[in-house]
This record gives sequence, C-alpha cells and structure tokens, in this order.
Amino acid sequence: MSLGAHIGALALGALLAATPPLVAAPPTQQEIEEALTCQCGCGLTVHACNHLQCPSGEPMKREIAERLARGESKEAILAAFRARYGEKVLSAPTFRGFNWFAWATPFAAVAAAALALGVVLGRRTRARPGGEAPPPAAADPALRARLARELEELEREP
Amino acid sequence: MAALGRLAVCLALLCAVFAVGASVAGAARRRRDLIDAGANAAYAVFGLVAVAVAILLRALLTHDFSLEYVAAYSSSTLPVQYTVAALWGGQKGSLLFWVFVLALFTTLVQLQNREQNRALMPWVTAALMAIAVFFLALLTFVTDPFELLATPAREGQDLNPLLQNYWMMIHPPSLYTGYVSASVPFAFAIAALVTGRLDDQWIRSTRRWALFSWFFLSLGNLFGARWAYEVLGWGGYWAWDPVENAAFMPWLVSTAYLHSVMIQEKRDLLRVWNMVLVLLTFTLTIFGTFLTRSGVISSVHSFTQSGLGPFFIGFLVAVILVAGGLVVWRLPALRTRGTIESFASREAAFLFNNLILVGIAFAVFWGTVFPVLSEWVRGVKITVGPPFFNRVNAPLGVVLLFLIGVGPVIAWRRATPRNLRRAFAGPLVAGLVAAVLLRLAGVPFGWAHATFALGVFVLGTIVQEFYRGVRARQAMLHEPAARALARLVGKNRRRYGGYIVHVGVVAIFVGVAASSAFRIETQQTLAPGQAMKVGRFALRFERTESREDAHVASLAAVVAVDEGGRRVATLRPEKRLYKKPQQPTTEVALRSRLTEDLYVVLGAYDPQSGQATLLAYVNPLVSWIWIGGAILALGTAIAMWPSPLERRERAWAAGRVGAAAR
Repeated sequence: MSLGAHIGALALGALLAATPPLVAAPPTQQEIEEALTCQCGCGLTVHACNHLQCPSGEPMKREIAERLARGESKEAILAAFRARYGEKVLSAPTFRGFNWFAWATPFAAVAAAALALGVVLGRRTRARPGGEAPPPAAADPALRARLARELEELEREP
Repeated sequence: MAALGRLAVCLALLCAVFAVGASVAGAARRRRDLIDAGANAAYAVFGLVAVAVAILLRALLTHDFSLEYVAAYSSSTLPVQYTVAALWGGQKGSLLFWVFVLALFTTLVQLQNREQNRALMPWVTAALMAIAVFFLALLTFVTDPFELLATPAREGQDLNPLLQNYWMMIHPPSLYTGYVSASVPFAFAIAALVTGRLDDQWIRSTRRWALFSWFFLSLGNLFGARWAYEVLGWGGYWAWDPVENAAFMPWLVSTAYLHSVMIQEKRDLLRVWNMVLVLLTFTLTIFGTFLTRSGVISSVHSFTQSGLGPFFIGFLVAVILVAGGLVVWRLPALRTRGTIESFASREAAFLFNNLILVGIAFAVFWGTVFPVLSEWVRGVKITVGPPFFNRVNAPLGVVLLFLIGVGPVIAWRRATPRNLRRAFAGPLVAGLVAAVLLRLAGVPFGWAHATFALGVFVLGTIVQEFYRGVRARQAMLHEPAARALARLVGKNRRRYGGYIVHVGVVAIFVGVAASSAFRIETQQTLAPGQAMKVGRFALRFERTESREDAHVASLAAVVAVDEGGRRVATLRPEKRLYKKPQQPTTEVALRSRLTEDLYVVLGAYDPQSGQATLLAYVNPLVSWIWIGGAILALGTAIAMWPSPLERRERAWAAGRVGAAAR
C-alpha cells in the first residue's frame, strides 16, 4: 500500500470514527441533554446550563425525563424539540443535506491536503533516490577528546 | 482630565499617521532623517497612549462617574483590583489597552533594533503604526473612552460580576499580549516582503517575539479555561464558544509556525508556508477581535459586543489583501530549490504536524462560521456546539499527539531503518504496554484510551532524548548526572525547552481526555442533614451560611465530604448576588487533587423548605491541565532564555556600539 493510500485510509478511519454508531444504545438523559442547546441564551447545552432555575433548561430537562419514562426514542425526543424551537435547538448539525458540509469539510480538507502533500513529496523523493543517511561519525578517540575540549570551551561564560 | 485623555488619543493618532508616512517615505527615498522622525513619532505614540491609559485608570480609581465608561464598568464598592481590571473589562477600555500594548511593543522593537535590521525597520515601524492608526481611529471617531455623560452618574453600574474573579485579572491581559505581540512577526514579514529581504534575517529577528506571542496565547487560553471552570459552574472549562475558538485558532497556527520555521532555519525550505503562517496568525487575531466585538455569532462573551464589527471586517479585508498581494508579488523570490528528501524525515513529520494543526484550526473556524453560512445558504439558524467540535477534533488531536512524539526525534533529511529503530523502538513498546495495561485496568478503547497510550509513547521519546543526552555528556565529560542534565538543557535551551513544552502538552492532553471521558456527575435536592453520593464521595448538606457587605450578598451551602467513611473536606459552594447589577453568580467549591477534582455547585436554595440543590462532579485528572500549563510555561521560558553564545554576541554588539559612540 502506498503512503498516499495509507493517509487516505487514516483520514477515512478518522471520519468513520467521528460519525455516530449505526446501532444506537438506549438513550440516556445526559445524552439527550447534550444533544440540545439551552434556549436561555447561555450558549451551553441543556446538560451544561446550570442557571439558577433556568426558564429554558429546567423545563427541557423535565420534559426529556418524562419522554424517556414514556419510552420515547432519542430521535423522537429530539424531533419534538426541533419542531418546537427549530433546528437551532440541536447542539450539532444533523447528518442531512447541507449540514453534511459541516461534518465532511474539515476531514475532506485535511485528507485532500495530506493526499496532495503525499503526492508532491512522493514525486520528489522518487526523483531523488538517495542512499541511507551517512553513519554517525566514528568514535575516534582524538575527535572525542577535541569535542570534549570544545564543549568545555563553550561552557565558559564570557 | 477627560479632555486631556481625548487630546492624548487624538495626538497619538496624528503621530501614528505621521510615523507611517515618514517611515514609508524615508525608506522609499533612503532618507535617514525621515526614518528617524517616523521612529520618534512611534515613541511619541507610546507616550501619549500611556498618558491616556493613566487618565482612564485614574478616573476608574477615583470613581469619576462623569465618564460614561467609568459609570458603565465600575462602582464605588468594587474592590480595587477589579477596578483596575475594569480598564479592559469593557469595549472602549480594552481597545485603549490594546493600543497601549501595541505601542509598548513597537517601542521595544525599535529599541531592540537600533543597530540592526536597518533596511527592514522603517517598514516594521510603518506596519505596526498602521495597525495603531486603525485602533486609534476607532477610539477617536467611533468609540471614545473619554465620553462624558450629560449628567454625571451618582453611582456606577459595576463591573460584570462574572469578571469579578482573579483569573479575569490575568486572562484578558495575557490574551491581548499574545494577540498584540503577534503583530511584531507580522510587521517583520511585511517588511521582508516589501524590501525583498526574504532570507532568514527577519525570522531570526522575530523568533523570540513569535515564541513570546505563543507563550501568552497559551497562557491566555489556559487562564480563560480556568476562569470558565471556576466561574461558570457547569463542571467544564472549555465550551467551544466562538470567542474561545477565536483565541484558539491563532494559537494553533502560531504553533504550526514555531515548528515549520525550524525547517526553514535548518534546511531553507518552506519559506512561502512560513510567511503564510505568520500572516495568518495575525489575521486570525483580528478575526478573533472581530468575533468578540461584532456579535455576528452569539457568544458568552457578549459583554464586549458592539457595533464595531464592520470596521474590523474592513480592516481584516485590508490586511488580507495587502499581505496576500505582497506574498503573490514575491512568490518567485520566496520559492526555494531545496526539497524534502524522504517521508521518513523530521521535515516531513513537521510538515504533517503543520497539516494537522492548521487542519484543526480550519475545523474550528469552519464550525464557528458554519451557523452564519447555514443561515445565508438555507435561511435556517443552526447551532454548532461542543458535540461537533469534540467529534471532529478528537481524531485530529490523536494524530497530532502521535506526531508530537515523532517529529522531534526522527532524523533530518532521511531516517534509515536503524535510525527509526533506535529512536522509536523503546517508546513504541512503552506505548503499547501502556495501552494493554490501561485496557486491563478497565479503560475502554476510545479516544481517551488512545490519548493515554500515545501520551506514554511521547513521554518515552522525550525521556529517551534526555537520557541519551545526559549519558553522552557523562561519557565525554565525566559529569555527575544532575550537572550533565542541567548543562544539557542549558547548552541547547531551544531544543530541550521544546521537549519540556511537549511534556506540558501531553499533560494537558491527558487531563482533557480523562476529564471529558470519565467525568462523574450527579444532581440532588437535599434537606439539611441529608447526603448524596458522587463517585466514591458522600456529600452531606449540613447548613447554610450567609454574609453580606455593601457590594455583594452571598449564601453558602456547607457540605461535608466523606470518603470511605472518613471526613476529608468541608466545601462551601456559594450563590452570590451582586447588588448593583442585581445579578446572581455561582461560586464553585473545589477539592483539587492530582487524581481528580471534586467540584460542587450550589444550584438552588429554597428558603421556605431549607432545601438545597447540589450539583457535584468528579473530574478525573483535570489538575493535569493546569500543571501541564505550568510545565509548558517553564519549557517556553527555557527555550526563550538567551544561550551563553547569544549573550556573548549581544555583549560584543553592545561593546561595538559603545565604541562607535565614543
């Protein structure tokens, strides 16, 4: 496998790792609170908002608990809040339509740059086949003694 | 006094305009008198802005509520340290403070370069003063810090209570220092592009400034995180708020520059890239200021929002056009003939490290501006919050951590299999063993697990470097280990200072990963005498305590903390009510240990029932973020400290100047 392919695989792996799992575990209160943005203006998720008796976060937390107790799925709960407040209530872009650009662009940009870098470097390194780096200087006792003297010399403050 | 302050700002603007004109004309016509006049005008700008700052500070300290700024951001009961902090607590004061720091740095740069960089300096002065002209013009024509109220207020409205915190005394000045000092490498880069002197001289002249800027950006970000942790009371320290992002982006690009510049110094490669990174760092500082001031994206930093957005966007566009145009113009001269010879080389590792750092900066930028883009394209408002940034940046961060281990120890030019084995066999084994042990200890696979294992790998490479360096000195010079270590670091401060910085970065990575992945939290409403559990701690709500003074009233819940049946602490989380703005705030109670923080917040208190709602968090390893910051500061100080050789060269240059003067 070429280096470019390695880099591509790495980027794809990172992208896949960043996407949500296909089989969702049972939702938790915290998970749903973190997927929603508090509407009080704090800019935090419902879970993180700790405003004293927050007029937005507290009722949302209670409603999530009630809906979970009724056995509603995460998707259904998020859809209910989205219908009420609009898409801005979700704390991250959905994986649909234009919002895909939000998720894919950073990885695509890094992968494209890595690929370009790999291709350019690959061409240049092939164009300049070189041997191994020169071995370290031989441990010649005279050279070592000179090196030691010069190190000592350097250590003396002016 | 207000009139004097306004006059000082107006005169500073005139002097800055003159400094730009005289410096450019002097450089173009090769007239020393004009160049000197431009430099002297820049000194005058510093003096005049210092006078303006002193007048505003005096007005704050004497509670002169005839000034709109003083009345809006302070009060007669505000403690003196926060009265001083009010200087940068509001829009106008912070702009004045910004231009003061800029004028101070311009003065320092001029003093540093009296006898060197003669061809570059007029353009450096012109670039720095052009930035000052922008800020001074805002202060003169748009947002006057010395504006008088029609009727003096009897009392001030007070500083925002969220800013009345120790960390806010040092977070904004650190960040401003980092932002403003990024102007110096930017100005030298512009000067190099204009004059065509594109060799390493401008880079050598600004190396310490770039490091200084990075150092303060690092501290500014960490102090801000600590402030959020202690003040906002949600158990975390980083919310990916647009303004946090705005400070993080220049830090990332500046970090990339500090690495890639080594390739230029060592191999004369990446001249264009380094130029772009320096220009981009400065541009991002202005973009950050635009985000903070414009209100275009909603942020918790709304206390500094104003109508200055269009001015900043105009300045930003001008900077991009001028800097971009100069780079394009000089592109043929910037290109180098050298090339990176192998993927398995330090140059390539640094290049990929740059790719990831700039990639993370781009991801943060993209997430920050995407809500605006979405509204523009779809007409739909969306939120891009922590789940997005965490999910996108975690994989990139893990790759970066791996490269932190690879870059500094892989050979320059071309590493042979033998070089690679020698450099990485030990650290890789250490990392793999750590990965297995962590899994056996119950740490699940995931980003946190990968971070811990890679952290061990990176530490392995660093420890190995120190060990080999000490052993080499011992073998050659027969020094005791401690002296060999001290001299090893002392002789190559940049290299070993850099390693120490990396240790700090690993500590920060580990702290962030552990506290994000393994945080335990619980919330419960308790009557006095009742207890709740969080992790291995039992918290018993005992009683409330209240106190009040002219400035603030507070109510604390006294919470006894037991661990394994033994009393280990008594915590007092508080709710405060600041009287003038009538705004409640949260005062977190913390029990910090190296292994974890117990973080308790008083969420609510019902005086009728006497019940208190407590939020309690156990944040594992979070202290390592702050310890990592201290290690990072130590490493940067070591890297910045002049080596004996540099001190000798400086003394020699000073002697030569002195002899010439005689």
